[in-house]
Amino acid sequence: MTLVTLGTIEQALAYSSILSFLAIGISLLYKTTKVPNFAHASFATAGAYSVYSISTILGLNPYIALIVAFSSVVLMAVLLFIVLEPLRRRKASTQMLMIATLAYDILMYGVLNVFADTIQALFKIPSRTVTLMRFDFTIAGLRGVLVVSLILLSLSAIILYLILNRTYIGICLRASMENQALAESIGINTRVTLLISWIIAGGLAGLGGGILTIWTQIDPSIGMLLIPSMFCASILGGLEEIYGAIIGGFLLGFVEIIGIEVLARSVGTWVTPYRPAIPLIILFTTLLLCPKGLVGPLREAIRKSWRRG
Amino acid sequence: MFELFMTFVIDLLAFFLIYLILNIGLNIELGYTGITNFGTVFWFSAGGFTVGALATRLGAWLLNIDTSGMDFIDDNMAIVTKINGVLKGEPLQGLMLLILMILIAGVIGAFLGVLMSIPTVRLRADYLGIAFLASGEILNVIGVAYRPLVGGPPGVAVPDVWAWAGEWRFPVATFTIFIFAVIFLAYAEYLVRTPLGRSLRAVRDNEFAAQAYGKDIARFRLIAMVIGSTLISISGALYVLYSQAANPSFFRFHWTFLPWLMILLGGIGNNIGVLIGTFIYNTIYKLIVFYKFALMGILPFDVVWLNYILLGTLILLILIYRPQGLLPEKPPKIRLERGGRSS
Repeated sequence: MTLVTLGTIEQALAYSSILSFLAIGISLLYKTTKVPNFAHASFATAGAYSVYSISTILGLNPYIALIVAFSSVVLMAVLLFIVLEPLRRRKASTQMLMIATLAYDILMYGVLNVFADTIQALFKIPSRTVTLMRFDFTIAGLRGVLVVSLILLSLSAIILYLILNRTYIGICLRASMENQALAESIGINTRVTLLISWIIAGGLAGLGGGILTIWTQIDPSIGMLLIPSMFCASILGGLEEIYGAIIGGFLLGFVEIIGIEVLARSVGTWVTPYRPAIPLIILFTTLLLCPKGLVGPLREAIRKSWRRG
Repeated sequence: MFELFMTFVIDLLAFFLIYLILNIGLNIELGYTGITNFGTVFWFSAGGFTVGALATRLGAWLLNIDTSGMDFIDDNMAIVTKINGVLKGEPLQGLMLLILMILIAGVIGAFLGVLMSIPTVRLRADYLGIAFLASGEILNVIGVAYRPLVGGPPGVAVPDVWAWAGEWRFPVATFTIFIFAVIFLAYAEYLVRTPLGRSLRAVRDNEFAAQAYGKDIARFRLIAMVIGSTLISISGALYVLYSQAANPSFFRFHWTFLPWLMILLGGIGNNIGVLIGTFIYNTIYKLIVFYKFALMGILPFDVVWLNYILLGTLILLILIYRPQGLLPEKPPKIRLERGGRSS
């Protein structure tokens, strides 16, 4: 008897790539602003609802609607950047910035619910617990969303790498991540670099949320349900490691989906409702044992053994 | 009309006082000690679940009610009706059950405070915030999945410990909560003035300086967490006792975000500010609920969502324009004794 089916692995891969899209943004923003962005929950929901509403109302292919998700969440992120600017200029404490992102999240949760109710009333389409799964295609027996999300994720990672390492603006961005005061002193406008990191994080979250609609059922509270997993993935990766977030996303995605499947088959199906506890347990163990995440220390260890050998 | 108005005022007061106890607890953690507790809903639901799970069982046991062959979840209504029938004539036993539930909820809250603090007391504000926010609703997950706790999603009814008051039930219940709130408020005001309170603020204001003076930061954070968790858990217990029902749907918005909003509105680190902030918020909120029906039908969406938009905007405006709140924290009074030594 095999414990894990191919379908489960497929699920895990798709879920992991969605988590990675969201976790990259959290890590990137943490690195540049030093604030964990709780509004990522509504970013994901906004991405999901942009794809759903555009492709249902206009009859577009959901994959084309991903562009709309990308740009609408970029707008949301830029708006949050503008809201946070006066706080940042006043050098408000981390606590205040955190509660500001949480407040923005609550505000956007209200807006998204109003949006869901309104499209339901205006266009006579269902807007809660909906999905675009049936519009998906299949390639070689695999669901299209799996292939597309993996390709998009690798593309985004490569583009992000090229932007950060090969362009002038990326080098400025990295400089202001490492040391903001020093970057300002050599004439880098850190407001612009901050804005760019919000745009990148928002866009990636929009893509992740959009893919979510094609992969599974969505609801206005989907982002709130996912936020523990997003932060867990980001912390597993080290919170300040941008590419570590991808590793964290895949690690958590596989443990969550395959772990609960294996447990359900070996212990009993009663464990399934406890699935939301998995990211929390991992989060607390990581914080307790290695608060710097798994990626950083691992890289150090490899580097040391390399030098020795 | 007058009776309707009185019901409105008493309900408003009860919610105000329940929130006040929660906010005093949060203020000890956040305002005095600087712990970013984004998970107050965790302790609130811990208190609520304690009452939901134990009040019926303990009540039946203490009052010698025959429950043989009855299940505490499936036959919940029957058992609660039986207990309420007995409690109608027994004010003393009703109050005893109330005090017992509050004590147990407080102890469980304190225990969970210690448990959650172990991985977190040494963390920085941002990591701490993430850990608390993520874990906030874990008890709801358990409450939904584990039916014997509070009966899963439909929830359970809870014996009415104020059943003896008859038609004065709600005023008497509100008055009881008022007594608790006064005790906790007095304790919090006393705490600021003790050496412990000063140490907590020292830890908040400058960790390194506090450490240089030999203060064990992890220990003081743990103390603040225990006191705060106890109060928050008790407020959850009172909420369930007052509303006579418990179900696993304590939302982050209501029991984490709103307390933060009230504290920020009133003034962080100032108990009187917290009192004013809590009162202003609850009055506005009840008025909104009261007049909400006027807007229904005109708009194509549920009016409930406007609350989220309104309150999110309000807190952003407070943070941008008046981050110290209505009543800022008072600088500590320093009495100079002869020889210039402060005490």
